[in-house]
Amino acid sequence: MGKAPVLKDGTAMKRIRTIIFYAVLAVDGIITLFPFLWMLLNSFNSEGNIFSVPSKLIPDLLGTNHMFDNYLTIFKEFHWGRYTLNSFIVAGLSALGQVLTSSLAGFAFATMRFRGKNVIFSLLLGTMMVPVQSTIIPEFLIMMKLGWLDSYLPMIVPSALVGSFGTFLFKEYYENVPPAYIDASSIDGAGPFKIYSKVYLPMSSSQIATLLIISFMNSWNDLLRPILYVSSDKWQTVTQALTQFQSQYSAKWNLILTGSVLSVLPILMLYIFMQNYIIESSVSSGVKG
Amino acid sequence: MKHRSCRLSALVLLGLCASLFSAGADAKNITLQYWSWDSSVKKQNEEIIAKFEAENPGVKVELTTLETTEYWVKLRLLANQGKLPDIFNMSSGYLEEWAKAGFVKDLTKDIQDDLDKETFYMNTLDVGRDIAGTGKYCALPYALVTTVLFYNKDMFDKAGIAYPDKNWTWDDFRKAAKKLTIVKDGKVEQYGFWFFGRYTNVESWIFANNGNLVDQATHTYKPDANAIEAMKFLCDLVTKDKVAPAKKEMGAYRYQDVFPQGVAAMWVDGSWFIDNNRTIIGDKFKWDIAEVPVGPHGDGKTAYGWPDFVALSPNSPNSAMAWKFAKFVCGQGVSIDMYMAGKIPTYKPLTESPAFLEKDKQPANKGLLITQVQQKTLKTSYTQGWSEWRGYGPAENLGLNGIIDAIIDGGMTFDEGMKKADVNINAILKRYYK
Amino acid sequence: MLKHKLSWYRGWVPYVMLIPTVIGLLIFRLGPLLGSLAISFTDLNMLTPATFVGLANYKEMFQNPSFIQTAENTFLFSLVYVVGVMVLGLGLALVLNRKAKGIGFFRAAFYSPVVTSAVAVGIVWSWILSPRLGILNQLLSALGLNEVYWLGDPKLALYVVAIIQVWKMSGYYMILFLAGLKDIPDTIQEAAIVDGANGRQRFFRVTLPLLSPTTFFVLNVAIIDSFKNFELIYAMTKGGPQNATNTLVYDIYINGFIHFRLGYASAVSYFLLACVAVITIINFIFKKRWVKHQY
Repeated sequence: MGKAPVLKDGTAMKRIRTIIFYAVLAVDGIITLFPFLWMLLNSFNSEGNIFSVPSKLIPDLLGTNHMFDNYLTIFKEFHWGRYTLNSFIVAGLSALGQVLTSSLAGFAFATMRFRGKNVIFSLLLGTMMVPVQSTIIPEFLIMMKLGWLDSYLPMIVPSALVGSFGTFLFKEYYENVPPAYIDASSIDGAGPFKIYSKVYLPMSSSQIATLLIISFMNSWNDLLRPILYVSSDKWQTVTQALTQFQSQYSAKWNLILTGSVLSVLPILMLYIFMQNYIIESSVSSGVKG
Repeated sequence: MKHRSCRLSALVLLGLCASLFSAGADAKNITLQYWSWDSSVKKQNEEIIAKFEAENPGVKVELTTLETTEYWVKLRLLANQGKLPDIFNMSSGYLEEWAKAGFVKDLTKDIQDDLDKETFYMNTLDVGRDIAGTGKYCALPYALVTTVLFYNKDMFDKAGIAYPDKNWTWDDFRKAAKKLTIVKDGKVEQYGFWFFGRYTNVESWIFANNGNLVDQATHTYKPDANAIEAMKFLCDLVTKDKVAPAKKEMGAYRYQDVFPQGVAAMWVDGSWFIDNNRTIIGDKFKWDIAEVPVGPHGDGKTAYGWPDFVALSPNSPNSAMAWKFAKFVCGQGVSIDMYMAGKIPTYKPLTESPAFLEKDKQPANKGLLITQVQQKTLKTSYTQGWSEWRGYGPAENLGLNGIIDAIIDGGMTFDEGMKKADVNINAILKRYYK
Repeated sequence: MLKHKLSWYRGWVPYVMLIPTVIGLLIFRLGPLLGSLAISFTDLNMLTPATFVGLANYKEMFQNPSFIQTAENTFLFSLVYVVGVMVLGLGLALVLNRKAKGIGFFRAAFYSPVVTSAVAVGIVWSWILSPRLGILNQLLSALGLNEVYWLGDPKLALYVVAIIQVWKMSGYYMILFLAGLKDIPDTIQEAAIVDGANGRQRFFRVTLPLLSPTTFFVLNVAIIDSFKNFELIYAMTKGGPQNATNTLVYDIYINGFIHFRLGYASAVSYFLLACVAVITIINFIFKKRWVKHQY
């Protein structure tokens, strides 16, 4: 007799807690989304309306014939499609290269002993600690000596060859893998490269996905390098193209914000895609335990 | 016999070759590199180039347009490598440094011999020579910007005050600002005026009072009595008269939106904000421009104005053609739509054309800009390291700009601010002018 | 160290695996870094020929009172940032580490500020925090309290900007923690539940220790990232008011790219590098004390 009400309260309490949890999360989520929504809404605003105070929540072009004017201007007059493709090429190749070389390097650092290991890793970490503004001028001079100006090479090759963040990420993860895997595989006759590619690499899918997103994002958002290394209009990246809406005396904010929205969408889509991949892979991997 | 004919034929051959070479040189193509920092006029630049190429067959001009910060980084890198473009935009702020480092061609002879001085406002060229500080002309101006007093006509009408005119004294200004400040329930609904430490906001009043911030002979920061009087007048508007807000009050607005959003009745800043005003104000209220009120020690003959220039590379292989293009891009090749509203062409036929007045648009008194460029002596506060001691761009909240902001925000007294400015700015200037 | 039953790799293997890394490191990372060091001993501005000035830039740094303040700002900012993003990042990861309907939306929502441009974030927050018209101050007025100049008060501005940076970047650390949480087997958690451990005990005795390698990684990354705050400061306060939000990276940027004092900017960079290196070395020394590997 006494049990039933207790049980009922128990599940009711649980349900209420879940609802509150989701409500708080939803509110926090919307607050967090707010700047992004602001950017998005302003892509439907005409130039004069963006900075009005108090801000007009409903963009003036929304629902009118001119609703997509900003987007049309950007795509037609400013060749946004081409710039997006350029950014994809640069960021994609950078990210893919970085995943391969960082995971390989991380594997070596995590599982092997060799002379100079600590030195190399410390130098790797050390180079992460200085902001790019400090090293860009000497870097430019090096690229000039290599003859790589006016090309994508300076934006792809360094990231594809070496990644401090990525190597660090994989090193920590691979250090955490039971040595039994190596023992078992090497008994089976596998060499280190095979152990890396057939055992370690597949099991680090979360890390691969994470690094892909982050490396892609960093390369995509890089502004300084495209500006210095890309001269011709056709080969500009998206971030570089965005700067043309700002000049010394004025800025076209409706186009800047629309361009920003378009610039963010690929990264967000990649993120969502990768997130799904992480969930699925960890459910099906069965590596743990 | 044979010798002579051999020599003759050799001479003829030589002659033929020579003529071939010179003909070839004439027909040889010239490519000029032209760098611009203004992406908003990219199309107009391309049109100008097309016109020039049509008038000068065999000449090709390649345009590079970059946003301001990146423009300077890349341009400096090229200067460092000895590969400057033939013609490039040059600002008043950096002209001295570039001139003294020898990276802009000396144009004195070209201007003396080859420039139709009747078609250019020579005072704009002269202010360039003064800024460069080498006694030579190193750049050709294509546009001038000045500062003006923007005022909200509707607010003046409501308060029953006459519009500002060139006879306004600073006292008239203060009285008007007081009448235009509306307070309700302890909260200010409308301010008479708005300013902060920005160079356009402050120097305008200093020069209108015949003051100087920098002693150009010794390259030290030495604001004279007139300059201090001007700065005190401005700061008192906020701290004593309370007709202008502290900077921190206006956090919700971009500084250029305070006036057009109808928060303040008057504002002094660059003439180029006519464009922003039109965009944001639209039809919401009537507004106009007037001269910055002349101070108690001013003579009404000075205006704060600085040109944007084009400069030539000192070692261009095609300097004659580059000069031709420079003249073209500052003068005959340009049309009025190249100029954002409020920028003044330094080429007389454009400025004095009816199209410049834009009679169908606000401000009605746009002709004031013509008066400024025609009649006034132009003064500036530029030195080397100006961006550092004045506070410009991303460094805006530091330097003198930051100090004045601190004074009007109540972070320090006027005297404390002036003392700090003296110490800090002279320390900076000492580094540039050893 | 790792112990294996037999030697499973030849001595040259690690070196071959590291060939791309070492090439990239030497040419593209160390090269510019050493170049920057060399520049810090000159007065390079790219227009006039650079002259060797010895330690003059470093001397100028330490004798400049506003530089000292800038350095202090930087470390305060970093402290707020590191603590903030680690707590918030871990918190978000724990909350969102479940398979529930619509959880993907929340993960994207909390990640969105990371990819939203700093300019947009700066503008929006400037509005929210602005006096008179900003929502936060209107709330305070409604409650009968005085307005606060969140960004205009030199005593508050630094912390406010740091908190906004935390808010903006938490999503980034959330995904790092999510990746780490994925590798904690559910079986261990289930075993702990069976053993009678409640949520709190499970978190502190099971989750945290198993998460420690990830936490170590995130801590070091957060420290290094905490100094990269140029864009937000530029969007919101530009180093003001009265140098209150000026940080080392902001200083490096304006000295390098506005005033073109590249020698001085490089000197400041090396000071920054030295500080971060010291902190990181300390971290690695203490690593063994609290980082537990799973086996």
